[in-house]
Amino acid sequence: MLRFAAVLVAALVLAAPAAAACTHPRTSLGYLEGQVMCPTCHTTLDQSDSAAAQRIELFISRKISACWTTKQIETALVANYGPAILAAPSHKGFDLLAWWLPIVGVLGGGLVLAFGVWRWSRRREPDDPEEPPGSGLDEETERRLDDLLARFD
Amino acid sequence: MTGRLKMTTQLVVLACVAGLLALLIWSVIHQQHAPHVGAKAPAFTLRNLDGAGKVSLASYRGKPVVLNFWASWCEPCKAEARVLERDWTSYRNRGVVFLGVDYHDLASDARRFVRAHALTFTMLQDGSGNVTGSYGISQVPETYVLNRQGRVIAHLAGPITDPSFAGEFRTALAKAVA
Repeated sequence: MLRFAAVLVAALVLAAPAAAACTHPRTSLGYLEGQVMCPTCHTTLDQSDSAAAQRIELFISRKISACWTTKQIETALVANYGPAILAAPSHKGFDLLAWWLPIVGVLGGGLVLAFGVWRWSRRREPDDPEEPPGSGLDEETERRLDDLLARFD
Repeated sequence: MTGRLKMTTQLVVLACVAGLLALLIWSVIHQQHAPHVGAKAPAFTLRNLDGAGKVSLASYRGKPVVLNFWASWCEPCKAEARVLERDWTSYRNRGVVFLGVDYHDLASDARRFVRAHALTFTMLQDGSGNVTGSYGISQVPETYVLNRQGRVIAHLAGPITDPSFAGEFRTALAKAVA
């Protein structure tokens, strides 16, 4: 009877996390560690072992257990630490530059490269013009050569 | 046409270099340093750790202020908290204001720390670290003692429980209330 009670308690304890399953896919600490900065060492949490980073990791773990979404956790962290706590800049205001500048840079670089290639290919064109077939000798030399060859005939 | 294109390219490159140079100059100018002894303490307004409104340093003008930067994850801050609370209770009647500035910390952890150490002086939260940065704080705990005019009398870059800072802290406090 006692054994049955023990098994029942153990089953209830083990079943508790399953009962607390989220209605949405649970986010992970590993993912958020790459998205959140350590405020004292200015690296992402996954690259930091500082006390401040460990506290944030603990906070994230608790919130994940409580079924908080990534967005909810990030919002709570921003409310506490400010926007600099997130590794990626926001998608509004001045921060938009951080997203658009690399794209503009790549496009600009591509254009410059394309223009350079186009100019280079145009410069190469006069080197191989469609010359009329011939010996390439001037008329005087050609005439002398003909005379010399005529002597051998 | 080629000449115009060349000139435009040169102008663009020149603008880029000038922009980078301006950025470098701006960052050098805006680099934050700890205020020196005798300098005016940087002004700030921070929210109370308990969530009840905001507090500005300017509101304490005319009173000596002890400004202590701490964090709940900071080990030396634990021992220092007891000493600060003891000093606060003995100096509060002499008009000295103690302000604790919680640095890069979760507010819930900080509140737990305040309760655990039974701290009764005003606690402010600087989650973003902007104010802490303006005081050149690179580690916690650090303490500033300000005179009635809001000028720095002492900057102790370590725990006041440390023998090397304890004497300096006492001297600065005595000077502040004089």
